[in-house]
Amino acid sequence: MKQAEQLDNLPGTVGEGLTQRGISRREFLKFCSSLTALLALPPSMASAMAEAISKARRQSVIWLSFQECTGCTESITRSHSPTLENLIFDLISLDYHHTLQAASAEAAEHAREQAMKDNAGKYLLIVDGSVPLGNPGFSTIAGISNHDMLVETAKGAAAIVAVGTCAAYGGIPKAGPNPTGAVAVGDIIKDKPIINVPGCPPIPVVMTGVLVHFLTFGSIPELDELGRPKSFYGETIHDRCYRRPFYDQGKFAQSFDDEAARQGWCLFKLGCKGPVTYNACATTKWNDGTSFPIQSGHGCIGCSEPNFWDAGPLYKALSVPASATSEMLGAAAAVGAAAGVAITWHNRSTKAAANTAHEKVTVQELTQEKK
Amino acid sequence: MTASLSKGINAFKEVIDAPIASFFSSCVHCGLCAEACLFYTETGEAKYTPIHKLEPLRRVWQQEYTLLGSLGKLLSLSKPVTDEELTEWEPLVYDSCTLCGCCSMVCPVGNDLTYMIRKMREGMAASGHAPEDLIAATTRAITIGSPMGIKWPAVQAQIKHVQADTGIEVPVEREGADYLVLMSSMEIINFPEYLSALSRIFKQAGVSWTLASDAFEATNSGIQIGSSDLAREIVSRIVVAAERLKVKCVISPECGHAFTALRWEGPNLMGRPFGFEVKHILEVLDELRAAGKLKTRGKDNRPLTYHDPCQIARRGGVVEQPRRLLSEIAADFREMPDAGVMNWCCGGGGGVSAITRAEPLRLQVFKIKKGQIEATGVQTLVTACANCRIVIEEALEHYHMKIEVVGLTELLAQYLVEENASPIPSPVSGRG
Repeated sequence: MKQAEQLDNLPGTVGEGLTQRGISRREFLKFCSSLTALLALPPSMASAMAEAISKARRQSVIWLSFQECTGCTESITRSHSPTLENLIFDLISLDYHHTLQAASAEAAEHAREQAMKDNAGKYLLIVDGSVPLGNPGFSTIAGISNHDMLVETAKGAAAIVAVGTCAAYGGIPKAGPNPTGAVAVGDIIKDKPIINVPGCPPIPVVMTGVLVHFLTFGSIPELDELGRPKSFYGETIHDRCYRRPFYDQGKFAQSFDDEAARQGWCLFKLGCKGPVTYNACATTKWNDGTSFPIQSGHGCIGCSEPNFWDAGPLYKALSVPASATSEMLGAAAAVGAAAGVAITWHNRSTKAAANTAHEKVTVQELTQEKK
Repeated sequence: MTASLSKGINAFKEVIDAPIASFFSSCVHCGLCAEACLFYTETGEAKYTPIHKLEPLRRVWQQEYTLLGSLGKLLSLSKPVTDEELTEWEPLVYDSCTLCGCCSMVCPVGNDLTYMIRKMREGMAASGHAPEDLIAATTRAITIGSPMGIKWPAVQAQIKHVQADTGIEVPVEREGADYLVLMSSMEIINFPEYLSALSRIFKQAGVSWTLASDAFEATNSGIQIGSSDLAREIVSRIVVAAERLKVKCVISPECGHAFTALRWEGPNLMGRPFGFEVKHILEVLDELRAAGKLKTRGKDNRPLTYHDPCQIARRGGVVEQPRRLLSEIAADFREMPDAGVMNWCCGGGGGVSAITRAEPLRLQVFKIKKGQIEATGVQTLVTACANCRIVIEEALEHYHMKIEVVGLTELLAQYLVEENASPIPSPVSGRG
């Protein structure tokens, strides 16, 4: 306990901040243990994590918002306030966030420039929203295009967290026909570690987990091929869904208000994208573990997957072809049938020719003549 | 006229049908067929993997019947099948495949590999790559009438012996009889007990039957060498005789491939359904038993086991009949491990027993059967295929195992209740 007090009392650290806010050591360790589990780290890491976070100086964070709806900020700041997740966020030094900061105009931009200068190479850059490349004027902040601001701010960042599907993969702004030429952060910045935390919006604890990992180890968590932390995006919603047993038994709701839906059967036939969506919704759930879309009776729309908006109708089962039009299908069928007929004709004529060429085998013809 | 590579390749093209095309395209290269092949399990040599034995046929399929394969052929990317390659494959397709059908049973995608090997032999025979022993046997079958060179007078001599021993007339050329009885050369030369046992059983059961002087041989070397033209000629002798004598049913003897040749391949070879039924002798005997016409007395107290011939059990579906028949007369019947449809082959079917150079390999792979027999602890093994019987007897001799092998028909006849009690011949063992 003595040691804990010592840690907590170090001035200017996260630990001190927690103590000031009346968060007990016990509560803090509980939080660290649950994060350790969520990050799929060994249990012994919980105390190491607690120590690291307590000692950590407030991490300078610059948050840039581009073509976005502020849903990601809503999710992270308001979802289940006031919890430890939020407090951790309060305890980072959020030096620039144009929705949350009090300053405006030149003062605001000055805060960003100052933070970049003071913490060069150390600050964490969080981005939500996609970047329009179609025309720099489509989205500007203080007269600076999103592209230029991203490139400028990214230069001195230790790492970049692309929060939300827009920043991670382009999201809804990039949906066809993509009028603004929207792209993801990773399409522009190639020389910095980028952690994608997709979702529309992403789950708050995933954000917290990534941040804590960064504070604890000074590195980014293990990522999958789409740049997502494996600990949160390693499994599909479907694999972790509490309705999975119904799927396995072939019990499906056919409409949102039939008896099967009331019985809580699988929503696959109503368009649930759970089987192809990698996210932690079914395990961590939303609103302080209250529920998640499938539990509320609506299928997963796959919002954390790239191009989810263009991946076919939200209410059509995955087994129904999504993008092909009936003309395309008809043409493909016609081409396939024609190719089939041609190959069949060719093979039949090969075989017919072989049959014609057949010379009756006699016992005198079972050996080859010696040459 | 002579066999040639081009004839062989042409035959490959002819035999590739929808099943073979789908088998080749659905093979997932899992290698499970290897574990089902006794030539692989007993030698550990990868070349004995059943699907590998089909490689030349697979390449012809790929080159002639698939889009990518024909492009590859045009661009000389895939090598053509050569005489040298077929020479190399000859021992794989003939010496080390008994057409036992185990691989077809285990294939997870349902490929009938045995069917493919049988078809591949068409091209091997047409290209002159069949083993010389099989060529000689087939030549005798076509020109003399039997692969072992037996002619009707030899059968007549045996008929005389049987009549003298049993006092029962053996009907010959009897038009309108219910059953036409066939024999295998092996039974005529090595196991004369069969005809004698059959005469007595049929006499007791009141069965009307006959032999045909021009169609006594049931075996079909054309099937083993893999030439439909020759197999058709051989099977047509039986069909012609059966239709001439207007029999209702032809009885395939205690011989494995003869049953396959007549029952399954026969109508396809002839291109028409038969006007008569084809049954294996065990099916007929079991019917007689069920009808109460096969009466036996007493039980054999020796521990007995039964070897399922591949073509009769696995490929022919006659599995329960021998067990029902044995339960009538066996006091101590013991099943071998893997008995029934998954029984291990004797190692000499599908023509292998006729290939002299294959003998060391045949004896080597017999070890699996040896283990099966030893597991039962019996001294007497019953079977229903003269070829299995001779192969097993030779191997038992090689391994110095003192085990007697008997045919099921003759064993039944030993316990037959006969009304005109004639002297019951003492049990005959070994080769006559």
